[in-house]
Amino acid sequence: MIEIKEVKEPKRIPVIGSIMGMFTVFRHLFQKPVTVQYPEVKEELADRFRFRVYLSTDDCVGCTLCEQVCPNLSITMMNLDKENQRNKRKIYPSVNFGTCTVCRNCEEICPTDAIYLKEVFETARTKNNFMYSPTDLEKGEEEVKR
Amino acid sequence: MENKGLKEKYIELNMGPQHPSTHGVLRLKLLLDGETVKNVEPVIGYLHRNAEKICELDFYCDALIYFDRMDYVGAMNMEVGYLEAAEKLLNIEPPERVVWIRTVMAELNRLASHLVWAGAFGLDLGMLTPFFYVFEQREKILDLFTEICGSRQETNYMSIGGVYQDFNDKIIYKIKEFTKQFPKKLDEVYNLLAKNDIFISRTKNVGILEPEVALDYGVTGPMLRASGVPYDVRKAEPYLAYDRVNFDIPISKGKDVLARFVVRFEEMRQSVKIINQAIDKIPDGPYFNPKARKSLMLRLRGEGDVYARTESPKGEFGVYLVGDGSVKPYRVHVRSPSFKNLSILPYLSKDVLIADMVAISGSIDLVFGEVDR
Amino acid sequence: MNLLLRISSILSVFGHYPSFILAYIIETLMVIIFATVVVAGMVYLFRKYMARVQMRVGPNRVGKAGILQVMADGLKLIQKESIMPEGRDDLAYKVAPVLIFFGLIMGFIFIPYGPLAWFGQLTVSHSDVSLIIIFALIAIMPIGEILSGISSNNKYAVLGALRGVAKDISFEVPMMLSILAVVMMASVKVSNPLDINGVVVAQSIPFAILEPLGFFVFLISMAARASYSPFDMGESDSELVTGNTTEYTGLRFGLFYLGLFGTIFLGSMLISTIYLGGYYGPYTNYAGFIWLLIKTVVLVVISLTIWLSMPRVRIDKFVTFGWKYLLPISFINLIITGILIFGGIA
Repeated sequence: MIEIKEVKEPKRIPVIGSIMGMFTVFRHLFQKPVTVQYPEVKEELADRFRFRVYLSTDDCVGCTLCEQVCPNLSITMMNLDKENQRNKRKIYPSVNFGTCTVCRNCEEICPTDAIYLKEVFETARTKNNFMYSPTDLEKGEEEVKR
Repeated sequence: MENKGLKEKYIELNMGPQHPSTHGVLRLKLLLDGETVKNVEPVIGYLHRNAEKICELDFYCDALIYFDRMDYVGAMNMEVGYLEAAEKLLNIEPPERVVWIRTVMAELNRLASHLVWAGAFGLDLGMLTPFFYVFEQREKILDLFTEICGSRQETNYMSIGGVYQDFNDKIIYKIKEFTKQFPKKLDEVYNLLAKNDIFISRTKNVGILEPEVALDYGVTGPMLRASGVPYDVRKAEPYLAYDRVNFDIPISKGKDVLARFVVRFEEMRQSVKIINQAIDKIPDGPYFNPKARKSLMLRLRGEGDVYARTESPKGEFGVYLVGDGSVKPYRVHVRSPSFKNLSILPYLSKDVLIADMVAISGSIDLVFGEVDR
Repeated sequence: MNLLLRISSILSVFGHYPSFILAYIIETLMVIIFATVVVAGMVYLFRKYMARVQMRVGPNRVGKAGILQVMADGLKLIQKESIMPEGRDDLAYKVAPVLIFFGLIMGFIFIPYGPLAWFGQLTVSHSDVSLIIIFALIAIMPIGEILSGISSNNKYAVLGALRGVAKDISFEVPMMLSILAVVMMASVKVSNPLDINGVVVAQSIPFAILEPLGFFVFLISMAARASYSPFDMGESDSELVTGNTTEYTGLRFGLFYLGLFGTIFLGSMLISTIYLGGYYGPYTNYAGFIWLLIKTVVLVVISLTIWLSMPRVRIDKFVTFGWKYLLPISFINLIITGILIFGGIA
């Protein structure tokens, strides 16, 4: 059965409605601002908020699944000389944050949980290049900036 | 100055793509006779990102992020639309819990989308303040999304056969908190706008759209319902859990801009009703289908073709998928509601004033990610 | 004792005539400074008030609580390059913002500011017809608006200017008729009813109570004169970008901006002098100026609330409203005033 509700035009009294509207606006003067003064005050982040991609090179097996699943080719595999028994081909993902959309597909598909995301989001810098090599991905944001 | 006197009767005026009134990057070529609009020609394509074609180049699971970015203020509804089609094509049935979770998320996002519309419509009419009141509420919804999905707008929350992460008690409590305070705030904004005499004089009997014309042009969604046609995909062809919740289709006989306004606000109230029912009915169970678990994400193969339609905040959102048995879709086609609704603008704004034209284009609720795809 | 005499008595070491000339110059400078400070304060008040009403914080970076933000913005506007559109009407394009600012500043000179403690009467310039002069000066501002619109070779600007003209002619006749009623009312009590000071003196009962209709008409006219929402069809930002000021940049744009806020303040001041008893209040001999300021600020806050809570009127609706409702109302007001005077009530 289809339930239909006919919506009528708003009931109003001329002029009084407008003045009540003005009063509503004026009343908000005494409300606390809802905005947050960002650099000084930081809002509490939600538990599941994720932004920055991290990589644990010890766990990475070089399966290239993350490269395949990445929707906009932000992840490319890169050679890295590192002793890792499980990663015979010695290839590790590098991420271009300029195009990363934080879809978290790489995190979901990684069979060894080597790639994971964290809530770090302040990645702005003057450098014009957002390519993160596997070693960069392992480090924290502070270290990479230096 | 060389130009001695006006030689032509009509002025041609470009509105947009960089113009404060246009939503996104709409460009309108106006032919003006003084203040009267003689002809409107919408020029689109400034936000064309080739989304359909890119979807065809990637795996089934990857297309979601492009659907997120079609209607970026109602991303959940886009995801639902794609997954309705993809899950039919890939023969993956989402578990019962997922169906209810998706219903809640889609309705929350419908609220967010309509709120953005209400604020932008106020701005179109020159009203600054309601914009901030609705955005405060929208921000609460987006905070909920961050809590649930990990990101605000382009959430990529749903996946084929499931959702990204499960609901927990804290989230359910927060959603209930939100819906408890929301109707009061909604009424406040509604009264602020709809009880204003100038607002009524700007919207009443402006842009009258007869139901026959609306059907001819393929207009759907609140635009169509404001013309008095009770057509809603959620009722006509129920998907998700919409056949198991109790809600009404708001229609109006007004056919004008004001009718679209009241219909959208009533729809928000109905959405709150749906959320309140659905949040209590979420059953226990897995939050993804093991057939589409994450390690199999790249191995989903589909064959045949399928069309699924859903009710996005803007109207009927259809997705046509063709699979050729490989891991990538052969063809993705989108029937986007904003694009179809935009086609009515030249018809509605014949011989109206510029101010009315702006009000009409505001009432259509255009999101350009979806028009241009 | 008034301000002029106070200043000249301080400067009396220079002799009688030079001290008066110097005093005049100083007084004029003081008015210009007052007007500028008031306008800057208006901009700050508006931004802060708008922010708080919309649950934001508003300017808070430059100076304590963002007080210096206006100054910083002003400096930025001065530094900016003035872009000259091609195909402009050069003289008109350059004169228009100056005209607007000139009309505004001159309007401030004839307002009766009332007495303030030791300074005495603050009123700058007296004239037997100051009421007429003020409205003549305010009438300069639309000329600037129109010139800027038609000279900047921009379709939006032309449309904005045309709307401005349509708006102006539809409210100025009712406005002057309501002023006529005020003059009639004042002529019963004082011998100089065309002097704005005489109008203030005549208000033992504020004219807003005796002439509510005229007050209403004048309120709407002043809102339309300042052209803020709901009467900002001339610069409606969602339709015509910013109307007649579309092509202006830098300092010239700043003058238009000052003109807008200054007109709100001047309009509120005029309403409070003509209809709300001006500087009259308790202890009027010491704090008359304070009373005027309080009345004006309350009116300004009301205007800003209207600005922030109303959508824009469509131009044809406003023209209809002006000719079909405001004009008859002001005529009725005139008749009622006549009856009141004839009956000896006022």
